[in-house]
Amino acid sequence: MALFEAQQLHKRFGDRVVLEEINLSFEVGQLSGIMGPNGAGKTTCFNVLTGRYKPNRGKVLFDGEDITGMAPRTIARKGISRSFQIMNLFDDFTVIENVLLAVPRIRDRGFNMTRRVAADSAAMDKAAAVLEQVGLKARAYENAGSLPYGDRRALEIGVALATEPRLLFLDEPTSGLGSDATARLAELVLELKQRYTIVIIEHDMKFLFGLADNIAVIHWGQVITRGTPDELRANKWVQSSNLGKLA
Amino acid sequence: MDFLLNLAPHLINGIGLGLLFALIALGFMLIVGVMEVINLAHGSLFALGAYFAMMIIGPEPQWFGSMGEWYVGLPAGLRYSIALVLAPILVGLVGMLLEYCLRGTYGKDPLFGLLLTFGAAMVIEELIRVFWGSGEQVLQIPAAISGAFIWNGLIWSSYRFFAAAFAIAAIFMVWLFLERTPYGAIIKAGAHDSEMVRALGINLSRLRLFVFGFGVMLAALAGIIMAPIWGLRPHVGVDAVIPAFLIIVLGGVGSFGGAVVAGVLVGLTVGITSAYASEWSLMSMYLLLIVVITFRARGLFGKKSVLEN
Amino acid sequence: MDANTGIKAWITRPMLITFAVLVSLPFWIDSVGLYQYLGVEIVIWMVFALGYNLLLGYTGLPSFGHGAYFGIGAYAFGLSQLHLTQSVWLGLFCSMLFAALGGAAVAAFLSHRRGIYFALLTIAFGQVFWFLSIKWHTLTGGEDGLLNIPRPDLEFGVFSVSLDSNQALYYFALAMFVIVVIGLWRLIHSPYGTVIKAIKQNEMRTGFIGYNVWLYKWSVFTLSASIAGLAGGLFSMAQESAYPDVMSLHASGFVVMMVLIGGGMVSFWGPVIGAAVYFLARDMLGAATETWLLWYGLMFMAVVMFKPEGIAGAWQGFVRRRDASADAEKKPVTG
Repeated sequence: MALFEAQQLHKRFGDRVVLEEINLSFEVGQLSGIMGPNGAGKTTCFNVLTGRYKPNRGKVLFDGEDITGMAPRTIARKGISRSFQIMNLFDDFTVIENVLLAVPRIRDRGFNMTRRVAADSAAMDKAAAVLEQVGLKARAYENAGSLPYGDRRALEIGVALATEPRLLFLDEPTSGLGSDATARLAELVLELKQRYTIVIIEHDMKFLFGLADNIAVIHWGQVITRGTPDELRANKWVQSSNLGKLA
Repeated sequence: MDFLLNLAPHLINGIGLGLLFALIALGFMLIVGVMEVINLAHGSLFALGAYFAMMIIGPEPQWFGSMGEWYVGLPAGLRYSIALVLAPILVGLVGMLLEYCLRGTYGKDPLFGLLLTFGAAMVIEELIRVFWGSGEQVLQIPAAISGAFIWNGLIWSSYRFFAAAFAIAAIFMVWLFLERTPYGAIIKAGAHDSEMVRALGINLSRLRLFVFGFGVMLAALAGIIMAPIWGLRPHVGVDAVIPAFLIIVLGGVGSFGGAVVAGVLVGLTVGITSAYASEWSLMSMYLLLIVVITFRARGLFGKKSVLEN
Repeated sequence: MDANTGIKAWITRPMLITFAVLVSLPFWIDSVGLYQYLGVEIVIWMVFALGYNLLLGYTGLPSFGHGAYFGIGAYAFGLSQLHLTQSVWLGLFCSMLFAALGGAAVAAFLSHRRGIYFALLTIAFGQVFWFLSIKWHTLTGGEDGLLNIPRPDLEFGVFSVSLDSNQALYYFALAMFVIVVIGLWRLIHSPYGTVIKAIKQNEMRTGFIGYNVWLYKWSVFTLSASIAGLAGGLFSMAQESAYPDVMSLHASGFVVMMVLIGGGMVSFWGPVIGAAVYFLARDMLGAATETWLLWYGLMFMAVVMFKPEGIAGAWQGFVRRRDASADAEKKPVTG
């Protein structure tokens, strides 16, 4: 049984059908990719998979449990975490505060009004460990809003990691990054691959093909093909399209 | 049948009131559309219009010497008509001043724009208190449109018919302006896409200034017409901004027809409530607002808007 | 790691300074040309403003109808003294309880929202409560309000303290203030405080991390209403009456202006500073001109336009610049 499954997803905005008969499955421990041209529906698909939109038809299953239509916060507590393409941080908080918010030790005690967060060494240690992992430990006490772009991207992923998810969704993590930063990100994702099941939407084909175990191609609101990077390189449709040239 | 007949004056009053609400709401809506600002001071500018009009209709003659004596001697209808034109213009100028103050808040958290217009509402209300006192004032209307007449065994207020007719005329003029003049086209474009308007070479800040001024002029006009109905007190403005907001939530931001229809609906609610429980007539608006926002915030006609940030 | 342990984890230096100033107030207030009762009013509004800022400054939710909960607190105190039994503790308990109930009920309608919808709903509910307080005259005494509310002695079981004098009442109100300050300071630094601050910055992400944002907004509104109720109860003790006017939009606007001018958007002490400034303006400016409120309102607008971080924020900025230039001076000249 796959860790995460999407069955016959159908999504419509008003009269416009955006997703049609989407079937996907992600196995534990694998890094799966989703790619496709702009406007093809992959972002909507991602939003449906992570609970931001409800599908009109179809089911989403996590570890056998039907999570279709559940609120994002419920899905998050089940062990699914996501990062955002358009950065979604807490700009007035410090870097470590951003991550601290997501740490389960704090999250589970959200209604505690008397314990001091700064004195909670277990939570602080966990947050520091996450920052270490994404390379932001040196900037822990800086203001998130004033970080350079590449570090904000790293923090974006850090916040998603801090919840200790079983399944991590990354939405175009290389967006806006230069080649150096992208290479560092690839190293990070490679490390994370050992601990988490990951699903990535990406435009950067070189990045994706270098990391993914399997990739689904979404176009015209449907999954038109799926396979390992090698299989896709050999796929005639992919070859003839722009996507093939980039890989 | 009798019951319906007894209800008729209240229905007419309600429709008239509703059309005036629609006029207020249209001005409010233009400001929301072009500037994405919720003008909480809209109500106090509504009130200011009525106070300015009162002053123009019946100023203290001794202030102006012999000119004043002559002016007060002019026919009431003439002075009233002057007020109907001049007072909104004055309020429009105040509105432009407010827009100028708002400029600093445009890029920031919309909370600050809200706070600023809230502050402006309090300042304007306080200004009214300082100049005209906290008590109830009276706006003098010409004899021609006041009084009552009897028809079909019921008493009808002449003024209410005048108010409804005036509101219809004013709404029609606004419609003509928006739909049939180039300035109106620019405003509609600005409401739709301000970036595009700027790219077309139109001075966006002047457009905003004008739209704000124009929007509050409509409120002021409504204020003058409504003063004999609602009375003239410094805090009468609060009761004007609520229906404006209610109407654009019901009718949708950006929908002219929606605003008019929603306005009439709100007016009828108030009118019918005043037939059965007159003390509750204003409260019915607040309760309606709570119900509408709780259950449906996208409106009957419009689409998702800046209100939902 | 955080070095604040023991008593320092609860009480900070600014708190001690503030407490010292306020404890000594009755001894010098007359010599600066003011009067004892003003101190009572200032402390009551400091409590109100602190509770209010939990909502505005920390969670980013603009309530323009908070006078309603202050008013419910005042009426609840009055009604409990007139109809139940004369007891300060019972009265204030009723104040906080009923204000919390009112706040909880209203918050059920508000907690899905932010921004303008939130603000307008608070105005609408504020007007409804104000209307009820006028119309329901069998309960509230109508436009005249509740009069002749007794100010009982403070019972501690074995002994009691008379609160008849303004000075005694002042110290009691101050004691409430101290408790609220310590409690809220702790709350701000707790997980709950972190969550509401997060909600102010990014509601959506907070939800995606796994928090039930609706519940947090509902609870902070209720808590804020309950503190407003406490202030209202103290007010009712001080005035020995309760009346509809405190629930009007006009009155609700005062706490908004106070908090913003004081610097509530960026500082815990903003509301405290703001309340003091408001009353000083009222009595000192007010002695000079009848139009003082107009000037105060214009000052509010100016603060929103030019310095939204308020007085406390300006002070923070000054301290930061002073520290930065001191650091710059300390750096050795390289050569």
